[in-house]
Amino acid sequence: MKIDRRSFLALVAGGAVGTALTPLPLKLTDDLSIWTQSFRYMPNEVPVPPDGAVSTAESVCTLCPGGCGISVRKIDNRAVKIEGQEGHPVNHGGICTLGLAGLQLLYGPWRIKKPLKKENGTFKAVSWDQALTDIAGKLNDLRNNDKAATVAGIAGNGNNTTGRLLQRFLTAFGSPNYVTLPSSDDAMALAAGKMLGKSGIPAYDFENSTYVLSFSAGVLDGWGSPVRMFQANSSWKDNGAKLVQVDARLSNTAAKADTWVPIKPGTEAVLALGLANIIIRDGMQAAAIETNSPSFGAFRKLLNEKYSPKDVANATGVDVPKLEKLARAFAKASRPVAICGNGSAQDPVSSLDAMAVLSLNALAGSINRSGGIRLAAAPDYINWPAPELDAVAEKSLDTPRLDGAGTAEYRDAASLPHRLIQKVNSKAQSPVQALFVCDANPVFTLRDSQNVKTAFEKIPLVVSLSAYMDDTAAQADYILPLHSYLERYEDFPTTAGLAKPMVGLARPVIKPVFDTKHPGDVLIALANALGGAVAGAFPWGTYKDCLKETLADNWGTISSKGYLAQSTLATAAEAMAPAGQMDFSALVKLAEAKPQVPELTLIPYDCMRISGGSIGTPPFVIKTVADTVLKKANKKTDVFIEINEVTAKKFKVKDGQSVILETPVGKAQVKINQTEGIANDVIAMPRGLGHAAFDDYLADKGVNINTLVAPVEDPVSGFDVAWGIKAQLTKA
Amino acid sequence: MNTTDDKSKHVADGETGAMNLAEDKGLLAVILSFLVGLVISLAIGWVVYPALLYSEQEQPVQFDHDLHMYEVSDGCESCHFFREDGTFAGVPTLAQCMDCHDSALGDTEEELKFVEEYVEQEKEVPWLIYSKQPDCVFFSHAAHVKKAGMSCEECHGPVGTSTSLKTYQENRITGYSRDIWGEDLTGVFKKHSWDSMKMDDCARCHKRETGSKGACFQCHK
Amino acid sequence: MNQNHSKKFGMVIDLDKCTGCGSCMVACMSENNVPFKVDESNKLDSITWMRVYKLTNGKPFPDAEICYLPRPCMQCEGEHGHSPCVSVCPAVATDYDHTTGIVSQIPTRCFGCRYCMAACPYHARYFNWWDPVWPEGMKKSLSPNVSPRMRGVVEKCTFCFHRYQSAMERAYVENRDTLEEEEYQTACTQACPAGAIIFGDLNNEDHAVTKIAQPDHHHGGRPKNPQVFRLLERLGTNPKVYYKSSKEWVRRKGDNYVAGEGKPGKH
Repeated sequence: MKIDRRSFLALVAGGAVGTALTPLPLKLTDDLSIWTQSFRYMPNEVPVPPDGAVSTAESVCTLCPGGCGISVRKIDNRAVKIEGQEGHPVNHGGICTLGLAGLQLLYGPWRIKKPLKKENGTFKAVSWDQALTDIAGKLNDLRNNDKAATVAGIAGNGNNTTGRLLQRFLTAFGSPNYVTLPSSDDAMALAAGKMLGKSGIPAYDFENSTYVLSFSAGVLDGWGSPVRMFQANSSWKDNGAKLVQVDARLSNTAAKADTWVPIKPGTEAVLALGLANIIIRDGMQAAAIETNSPSFGAFRKLLNEKYSPKDVANATGVDVPKLEKLARAFAKASRPVAICGNGSAQDPVSSLDAMAVLSLNALAGSINRSGGIRLAAAPDYINWPAPELDAVAEKSLDTPRLDGAGTAEYRDAASLPHRLIQKVNSKAQSPVQALFVCDANPVFTLRDSQNVKTAFEKIPLVVSLSAYMDDTAAQADYILPLHSYLERYEDFPTTAGLAKPMVGLARPVIKPVFDTKHPGDVLIALANALGGAVAGAFPWGTYKDCLKETLADNWGTISSKGYLAQSTLATAAEAMAPAGQMDFSALVKLAEAKPQVPELTLIPYDCMRISGGSIGTPPFVIKTVADTVLKKANKKTDVFIEINEVTAKKFKVKDGQSVILETPVGKAQVKINQTEGIANDVIAMPRGLGHAAFDDYLADKGVNINTLVAPVEDPVSGFDVAWGIKAQLTKA
Repeated sequence: MNTTDDKSKHVADGETGAMNLAEDKGLLAVILSFLVGLVISLAIGWVVYPALLYSEQEQPVQFDHDLHMYEVSDGCESCHFFREDGTFAGVPTLAQCMDCHDSALGDTEEELKFVEEYVEQEKEVPWLIYSKQPDCVFFSHAAHVKKAGMSCEECHGPVGTSTSLKTYQENRITGYSRDIWGEDLTGVFKKHSWDSMKMDDCARCHKRETGSKGACFQCHK
Repeated sequence: MNQNHSKKFGMVIDLDKCTGCGSCMVACMSENNVPFKVDESNKLDSITWMRVYKLTNGKPFPDAEICYLPRPCMQCEGEHGHSPCVSVCPAVATDYDHTTGIVSQIPTRCFGCRYCMAACPYHARYFNWWDPVWPEGMKKSLSPNVSPRMRGVVEKCTFCFHRYQSAMERAYVENRDTLEEEEYQTACTQACPAGAIIFGDLNNEDHAVTKIAQPDHHHGGRPKNPQVFRLLERLGTNPKVYYKSSKEWVRRKGDNYVAGEGKPGKH
């Protein structure tokens, strides 16, 4: 039979009718529509993640000194969300940006997955055994050649068992060069020691304050324990307490304060002393102040001569009526408190700032009072017997510290990392032959970063103990990968201005994802590899044994509750001189000369959306950064500096323009964000950008402000207290 | 004027005799073609397509629900239970099975296979789940069982009395189990409440029981 | 639904307390599997269900002031559920749930025409210009409660509806069918370290959100509290997100006032 046109059409018609009488059309349409809706045909299929049993694990966030309790939601063995722990005495369920994004640090590509060794400039994976054997071999060589004291160690957290194990390792090995990173607490403790006869960690009772006078402290920008400060601020709003922010920039703190007092950067102490002068002049000081003491007399005389309202107004840019009003409001408030610490206060403040602010608190009667400042004892619970030293160590430990801390020149400092870097760079052959860096990122966080990098390049053996490929790890010869903070036990002494300092305990919330170790276990293994007295100093099988033994009877409480309240720790340092008998002589000596303010000053600023410390900003958090701070154009991600219209006109630059920002130590190409929220002749730049390492999400975005700022040594403490620096602006 | 008409007339005039036979033949061819088309498409639609659409897979281990129902005290919820947070645990994990089966109970071939391949190697059994909804569907067992008081059978059928697990059929296009659409491809002849579990089935019951089909988010995520 | 009272979940954000820290944004991203890219500095294609805007009073130094304003989806009710976005969706991929007052967004149903984005006066809706890409290993941190979205669909804040579902499930197994106020809270509310976000049922007079906002249900939910306002009130979108500020300039910024117009807050 010949199939003609008509029969073909009939065949098709039959097919159509038949098909219509089957479930095929409906079913196929339905199936295809489902197919198009699913990810299945996509090259990078993303199905809904697998479901499972929900559980929560509690721990302590150790990403900043704040010490918040966290509650991690898990699906089977995956951690899927970090939340603030309800009822935790620090954060009461609240949490910050960085804490929330912690899982990106845990699972992110910037984790170091196995031990790495640098060969010809690139990292090669090695086994733990090999890495430890190599490093132990090199250390033994140094030790056998009488160079034990050329080994140094930098610990990110110098006060907990991890840091102290590094110190113990160095001591048993024969090196005095255990370096910690000085904090704002250290500077305040020192100032308190000078003025009140006994040093103590500042503890602020903000919850009961009625008037908070902040000298450039980023109360809402990461200062202290950030979540606690947010909660304190909200309570001030609820109960009518006032927050006055002295700040060169309309920071988030200044924006939320009841009053913003713009000031020339670096003149905070001048303002504080000017206020002290008005308080004393008008007899508004607390009754307890002994006005007859010689030191008070000298103080009053100095203020009279050098800190008259007019002088202070000239120096700070705050006019006389405002000064008078501010002094009165502060002195007359029922429970005022004054605080200092630039931005997030991750670095020490100058002794002048610290003492001036302490004196204000004393004049207002706010020391050891509800709503004021109390000097507390640092949590003290690590009481290991001193390691038994062999002859090599005994001899080697007599060598003076390389950073000079504790010597006649820097009597009050425990550690001076910036001096260590200077020392390395000052000699042709590095006086540091091997450097351990544990949970710290000094290449990024220390000032004059170029110099730090040069020093690291000069040191023959740099061993980084790090969970992340940070700027310092990238400079290392060996990277020993650590458990992230969510995978390990760690005691976490928390001061951070808390009314009651405490010790938190981070507990592993999931099993380690990669071939990593606890820093404590790394040090134990390394000590055992070295053998002899060094091994003998580490009698513990594992870090956890050490931790349990250290906390002894408190282990049960801390491992179940997650923290030890202060009452269970050593008692507070109450043995200081009564605040009324404050010794002003150290302050008088410092305040003889007023700080000089350059014509144009570059200052860093901190905010909650950029992590300024050793931890890099995770993708979720960097995503929240405004396009007036960071913006990609022409394949380059530029950082914007803030200046106001007056300054822009003066230096003939325009909003959005590319400019060269130059300081005595470096220069960088940046863009202008013209804003009215900043004082005249001040440039503000965010701190925490410009990482060289980490990953695509963070690296090469903006500029690290530490490349533009040089260390400034405090005359009393010796700490690097740099904040602003003289700057120049030119068109790019 | 009308050229088409003229032409057709001309053709008709010339070939009238031959036309009748040819027309009959033509009609037959048309009818035959139509029928062939009809039969082929019916065969494709009813037999070939269903056969091609679904791939078949046996469960990794056979399982006798009926037997287990004798052994447990709390019916289905003995093994398929609610967690404290209200979520439904679904198919038991190996750990649950091992509460009883930490070593072989009895000596059937399937029991030995289960113990050797899974229990001893501590490997979860990759059960194929007949009633698994698309992963973008939120289904709350708690709302249906605890709140609405429905029985398991209403959606899952008499699984509890089955003595073996049927062959699992997976839709090659969507990747979903056949039980979602149901055995009956027409989707019209639904005899039992558990015969199919498409969105329309959910909506019908919701409309009947609650007065509203419910908003999108009630079931979709 | 067999529920005795329909709910109307809403939010009050206290702008005096909000410090602009961004925790709400990150909490939201982490809770809802929001994707992220290497460069997120182009805010036109950066997906942030919750976005914190920076308002300025426009005055020169030193009188400049800043106020931060977090903007989730407003869950507009319009009139009887005619939200601007729901009304225009040709795919029925977004609907208004009268039992909770939440506007849904179903990514598998959406075909990406973006009418809803054009209709939304709050820029609360975002389009996926690319498939989401998570770095190797990071998919482990994704939540099973929220579908990841593919290229070509719109997404937005859902008031963490899955948290409502989870809370209801727990209630059901505990033989309850009502929730306490704190049982259902959005991720941003829970995370906010300043306690600036208050979330609850606007139909429940005992809930803090109702006490603060004092919505007038007879007049499209307008707030009776003079310090409380809604964004673009005069559009009649009837949003369920309220803002509280003691500053008049902030309240004025909330609507498109023209120069010389009278004080806000008088309806």
